Amino acid sequence: MTKALIFKEWIKTRWYLLVCLTVMIGFAAYAASGAFRAVELRGAGHIWEVMVTRDAIFVDILRYVPLAAGFALAIVQFVPEMQKKCLKLTLHLPCSILKTTAVMIAYGLCCLTICFMAMSLTGILPLGRLFPHEMVSRIFLSMLPWILGGYSAYIFTSWIIIEPSWKMRIAYIAISALALRIFFLAPGPEAYNVFLPWLSAAVIFSASLIWLSVLRFKAGVQD
Amino acid sequence: MKIFGKIFLWLLVAMLAAWQIPWLIRYFAAVPSHVPFTLYSTVIEDFAMIRTEGDELEFIDRAGHRYTEKGFDSILPLFYARQLNSEGRFPDSVSGRAVNIHEVLEHNFFFNSHPSDINCKKTGIYFLMESCSGRVDLEMPDDAFRFISGNGTIGGKAWTDGMAQDNGGIEFIDMKKNDVLREKSEMFTSAMAEAGFSFPPKCLSGNPGTRKEYDEGYIIIDAADKLFHLKMVKGRPYIRLIDLPSGVVPEHAFITEFGDRRTIAFFTDTYDRMYAVCMPGYVTVRIGYIPESGIDKTCRTSDTADCTFDPTEESIYIIGNLIDWTVRINSETSTRYYAINANDFSLISFMEYPSEPSWAERVPGIQFTSSKDKYVKPRIRK
Repeated sequence: MTKALIFKEWIKTRWYLLVCLTVMIGFAAYAASGAFRAVELRGAGHIWEVMVTRDAIFVDILRYVPLAAGFALAIVQFVPEMQKKCLKLTLHLPCSILKTTAVMIAYGLCCLTICFMAMSLTGILPLGRLFPHEMVSRIFLSMLPWILGGYSAYIFTSWIIIEPSWKMRIAYIAISALALRIFFLAPGPEAYNVFLPWLSAAVIFSASLIWLSVLRFKAGVQD
Repeated sequence: MKIFGKIFLWLLVAMLAAWQIPWLIRYFAAVPSHVPFTLYSTVIEDFAMIRTEGDELEFIDRAGHRYTEKGFDSILPLFYARQLNSEGRFPDSVSGRAVNIHEVLEHNFFFNSHPSDINCKKTGIYFLMESCSGRVDLEMPDDAFRFISGNGTIGGKAWTDGMAQDNGGIEFIDMKKNDVLREKSEMFTSAMAEAGFSFPPKCLSGNPGTRKEYDEGYIIIDAADKLFHLKMVKGRPYIRLIDLPSGVVPEHAFITEFGDRRTIAFFTDTYDRMYAVCMPGYVTVRIGYIPESGIDKTCRTSDTADCTFDPTEESIYIIGNLIDWTVRINSETSTRYYAINANDFSLISFMEYPSEPSWAERVPGIQFTSSKDKYVKPRIRK
């Protein structure tokens, strides 16, 4: 049953994932090539100086890419389910509702992990040739909140889409918008280092919100 | 799972409300407090300030005397030296001391430090410039350096025989090749170890850049709380241990590189007392100590006038000249002004503007960022 559920999700999202992966790798490659080009034009010394003294990290262009990817994946995965009333059928499969929901969400999170890993490796690995490990890890640690924001965007968007009542959807949109803002408050690189473990735990726990919407959907709540 | 989800949802809503509602209140109801621009005037021997009254600027002193703009320039001749000189009004002497415009401009300096400069994550990569290149213009180096822990290797390889740097060292990296400069690293590590430097440092302050007159490298507090001066002279290390008064444990150091070259660094100790390291001879003097003759009678008690500064919590701004310095220290509760004798760094006078936060600023809640640091983390605002 699990394999069948995963296959169902794959059928829905495969083209989106291909586009998402391509776009993310493209953005990351562009960011990395920008650093190489800057070194070529201005010299390594100048670029190191800019990174150390002016807090440049060269991957700012990737800031909202994970957020958009998570948001779009949730739409691609759950809007057809809701529009075609497939979710009602899915929840009536001979398998526990919790397991069905967990498989669907885990599938989405795994797909995002693959995309984010591809983006991070494409954007950061080549920079190891230009910069010492301190600067490379600085770039990665500065990107991590954006990646967590991507997971959160996926979870919150799924939560909103599955919710059957529009009144509650509006409240959830407000909550999600404010909560997602937390991932983008950095006043400088590595600003989230201390907060990252707590933020990661909160992202994992937030997946439980989707279960609330599923239960309301299953109960047939309406406006 | 349902109960867990509901608890999480309500916690999330409560946290967002505790974050956003106080922010909204502060955004719409907070009234900015204005501390007048204040400087110590050696002419009137008191603080003088510029206050905003509606659209008008009001030039007054602490005793309440009012001045015209030109009159205000005259009581602060060293701060407004360029203006007075352009009008042909620059005096021959100030407070009985003969002065000339070039000397005054050379001794004028500004120094500032903000808690967010200190409370942030640094890269751990630094630039050591050549301090004595023989050229007028300074140049940025082709290499950078880092401090390494004592794992007995340099650039992943063992140190040269006889250089068992198990206690760590300094590692220079060629920026173009992104590769360790082994010879230079060993030369500097040896010199620093011989000078008694304990790796890794707790604090270092430098100002690498070409827009300055000269370079003094770095002031470093090592792992054993000793203060060192490190610079590069003709490609070779210059490392000097700075003697400190008994019982003084340095905590935060700041390189100065002012035009008059009289001081090389400021530092604070574990009691937040501030010191200047003067050249020549690396003489350490407490800034703002109360002289035996006492300070002016307007200061209420010596306790309130004690010149202390916590760089992690307070911001400091020093406007210095040939005769005196005005030190402004901003804390959450007040803005303190200290007038310091530029000759011996003793305290001349003191005044304080208490800052009473408005009701909007006192609304408790959660905030994720702070003006005092560059970190994002939840903190309760009481």
